[in-house]
Amino acid sequence: MYDLFFQKFNEKVALTAEEADLLKTYLTPKKLRKKQYLLQEGDVCKYTAFVVKGALRAYSIAESGQDQIIQFAIEGWTISDLYSFITGEPATYNIDAVEDAELLLLSKSAHEELLHTLPKYETYIRLQVTGAYLALQKRLTAAASLSPEERYTRFQEQYPELVQRFPQHMIAAHMGLTPETLSRARRKMKSK
Amino acid sequence: MITKQTIAIIGATGKMGSAIAMKLANGNYRILLFGKREAALQALQAAILEDYPFADIEPITCSYAASWEADIILLAVPYAAEKEIAAKIREVANQKIVISISNPGSAAEELQQLLPHSKLIKAFKTSSTDEVALAGNDVEALAAVAELVLSAGFRPIIKGKLSTTKILEPINF
Repeated sequence: MYDLFFQKFNEKVALTAEEADLLKTYLTPKKLRKKQYLLQEGDVCKYTAFVVKGALRAYSIAESGQDQIIQFAIEGWTISDLYSFITGEPATYNIDAVEDAELLLLSKSAHEELLHTLPKYETYIRLQVTGAYLALQKRLTAAASLSPEERYTRFQEQYPELVQRFPQHMIAAHMGLTPETLSRARRKMKSK
Repeated sequence: MITKQTIAIIGATGKMGSAIAMKLANGNYRILLFGKREAALQALQAAILEDYPFADIEPITCSYAASWEADIILLAVPYAAEKEIAAKIREVANQKIVISISNPGSAAEELQQLLPHSKLIKAFKTSSTDEVALAGNDVEALAAVAELVLSAGFRPIIKGKLSTTKILEPINF
């Protein structure tokens, strides 16, 4: 149950067996069925979720009623409404399972306690958040300067596992493209 | 809370468990019914759906699986059975809310030792018929269970920490 979590953790920061045992006591094992919500907007996000198995998405709903998918998470990835998690304000994201999922949740209080008691945890968080920020910067630049086809190509190159795992209309919703524009971009790519 | 929470009722086919399941069926909860007798579980599910056709309920014959999926675990079993269940679900009850309704007293501390990282809440009756008293050490867990009690149609009274349960009455519908 914990193997993948500690594998990913140790890729960033190496833990001793004792430290791993301590960290384990803070983790909440949670099973989620397909289409079940982990979080609905309006609630405070109390957990970050590490995906052991399955697939989740975080999305907000535009006034038009369209889903805007902000983030995907598959095995080894972490997902949350980070703004809500950190500030304690109501979440603006919904997070649900696209496939049946097994998760390891870390609550806000567990997170706060670990930051004080386990210095390596703080390092892990620093690396996680820095990585996320860098990815966000790249994403913003791409959104501002590239054509839909170029954006899709880059996304495909960087995250082929996501393109395989999630339905096309969700990938389109993530990129801010209509399914038709995405289809056109994929056809153009294939014909090259 | 807006997000639907999942509650596993361990011992759902018992008198207390089935009464609690029925009370929660109309609330914003996904209810997993665990019991050893499959026929009784099916009968309970049918009875609940008759009154509440839109209830989100599912019988499960594995306490580990039910507890894994749950956000809140309710032990509606006698004190003697609690220890056996606690040992089985310990891993997947880690950091989760576990509600015990068995005879209070030193039982609370023993159960906490078996589930060292779970947020244990004792629920019990007061002299008033529409009240349910709660005791626990975790403030957020108390709030979540208070919401559950309200949803079941009772008034929650927070008594304090687990240690206060030594002198109070067991719950009984």
